[in-house]
Amino acid sequence: MNLEKVISGFFIILALTMNFGFFYGDPTVLEQHNRYELFIAIIVNLIATIYKLGDKTHLGAVLLATSLVADIQLIAAASVWALGEYVTGMNTETVTAIVSLSGGALLANIVSVVLFTGDVLKSKR
Amino acid sequence: MRNNSLYLIIKRMRTPMYVLIVTFSISILGMVLIPGVDDQGRPYHLSFFDAFYFVSYMATTIGFGESPYQFTYPQKLWVGFTIYLTVIGWLYAIGSIITLVQDKVLAAQIALAQFQRKIRKMDEPFIIFVGYNSMTKAIIDRLTSEGIRSVIIEKNEEKIKLLALENYSIEVPALVGDIRDPNVFRTAGIHKHNCKAVVSLFNDDVMNLHVALSAKLMNRHVTVIVEATEEEYAQNLKTIGADIVENPFKIIAKRIYLSLKSPSLLMLEQWVYGDPLVLRRKDRLPKEGKYIVCGYGRMGTALEVGLKRAGIDYIFIEASPKKAAKAKRGEKVMVGDADDKKILLKADVQEAACIIAATKDDLLNLSIIMAAKRINPDIYTVARENRINDAVVFKAAKIDRVITIETLMVKKTYNTLARPLADRFIRLINYRGEEWGRRVVEQMKQNIGNNPDTFETVIDESHAFALVRHMRESGEEIPYDVLCRRRDDRSKRNPLLILYVKRGEEEILLPEPDLPIKIGDRILMAGERDSFEDVEYIMENINELCYVLTGEECTQSLVSRFLLGSNGKPE
Repeated sequence: MNLEKVISGFFIILALTMNFGFFYGDPTVLEQHNRYELFIAIIVNLIATIYKLGDKTHLGAVLLATSLVADIQLIAAASVWALGEYVTGMNTETVTAIVSLSGGALLANIVSVVLFTGDVLKSKR
Repeated sequence: MRNNSLYLIIKRMRTPMYVLIVTFSISILGMVLIPGVDDQGRPYHLSFFDAFYFVSYMATTIGFGESPYQFTYPQKLWVGFTIYLTVIGWLYAIGSIITLVQDKVLAAQIALAQFQRKIRKMDEPFIIFVGYNSMTKAIIDRLTSEGIRSVIIEKNEEKIKLLALENYSIEVPALVGDIRDPNVFRTAGIHKHNCKAVVSLFNDDVMNLHVALSAKLMNRHVTVIVEATEEEYAQNLKTIGADIVENPFKIIAKRIYLSLKSPSLLMLEQWVYGDPLVLRRKDRLPKEGKYIVCGYGRMGTALEVGLKRAGIDYIFIEASPKKAAKAKRGEKVMVGDADDKKILLKADVQEAACIIAATKDDLLNLSIIMAAKRINPDIYTVARENRINDAVVFKAAKIDRVITIETLMVKKTYNTLARPLADRFIRLINYRGEEWGRRVVEQMKQNIGNNPDTFETVIDESHAFALVRHMRESGEEIPYDVLCRRRDDRSKRNPLLILYVKRGEEEILLPEPDLPIKIGDRILMAGERDSFEDVEYIMENINELCYVLTGEECTQSLVSRFLLGSNGKPE
């Protein structure tokens, strides 16, 4: 068992589950989406990204790319939230934007997990 | 080899980044969770944005004060804790970046990346030198002044730093690396088509063999020039295909033989290596009498061959019984310290004509010469100087002939690299004998002077545009004599002598003046610098060629033929 694999696997999957927890619910109702969950999803995604930095393999590069996509989508979601709350005011449009941005990040997270699992299955041990 | 510097930076930055993210997130989360009181006394929670904003300026020690409202005591408690947490995390990250910038591994990686870029961009032919020492330095000095590019591979980083102090007019890229790692050769660009030669002049034959082997395996088109002082290594090197195997001791032995038997050839050889065309005192070895050679090592055994061929009576003195035991039966080898007066007397130094101090120890060589001179002041002295740095002492010792191995190797290697025809010329003249040599020397002295220059050129489009065009178009045979005519008056001849023409596999020494020029000929000439300029003009310039050929100022028709196409009509 490789401890590094455990930790990186943990963060990659936690990023997906956290993001899913935030995303799940009516996309027009902000009350069904917890702000703490979004915060933790962002943090976990950032950590998962750093784990993939400096990996010279081809797979590492693709994983890094998907992670960066998820980061950008989630940070965009948080920015839209802050913008809605302080500048433009919350309306349904803003709420759907937040949720759909996190949905996009969720897709990137799924790709990450699939690639990661594929790599694990491919290795002989 | 891929460039690792970027990955190295990123990988090293991972831990500081974790620390930053974790400390920031803990602080932000705490700030959001702890309730505060606004200006109207109502309880409120900081939003994530407020918390992120506050923590960002707190952690970076910018500190705009408490926002949006004055903090309550529970909040202040948390802030007090997080100040230490985040500020320490932040300073740690900054510190890591600074350490990384100063890091030696990273610096080496960046230097490597720069080197690789230089090699990639290099379009001109270049030569790889393995090892940067006084010898290769001297060769590179001369090559760069001729505009030939060099690349250095050196194990010792300090020596490469010294290289930076040299003010070369063209850049000489240097790589720190051990040649035993095959990647090093690849990085130095051995696989590139414009890598012309690999030069390895280590004192260590094993090392040279190693270099030659890996160089040949990685690119068999590259010319490999190595030094080999022992016969078995020389044989090995030739088997693996090293193109030029240089043995300084063989050259020395040959020169000793030449100065005894055919001084004209010696003069020619030394002249090609850069000396004037005269015999100096140092070239006049006593032709009769006994020779004492001290040292029966690599040089001693080489000298043995030369002296024997010249029919000279000689005796060896060797300190190591093991080396002395290698001598063939019938050879006179005495065992003992050569600077010992008793041993020298035993070898009849008072009667001897010449003493050759040929050990690998410079000080020992000097003391041998001093001891021999004290007993026999008239003796002709020859000493081997191993290191260029010892030149001052050797000069002060007033030795008749000093043989500097390193200088010899420098000249020899330079010739093989920059003047291949001259190098070949030396090899060829050895078969011609003294009579021939004397004729050439006389001819040169009469026509040119005591110190002619050499000039090598090729009859091809880039060196002889006009000549090649004219020959192709008219089909006329032009004799070599044309090149020797003067540009201002074709009836007069330039002080010039064509020494050697290489035509494919055919080699012509001292061609007759009416030998026709052929496209592709490679020519070695001796003459004055000014006359080489004339030769180049005649070869390149249509008007000049026309004048020396016909004796008339160039007619319009000939000009228009060249300008407008072969049939004289505008195209």
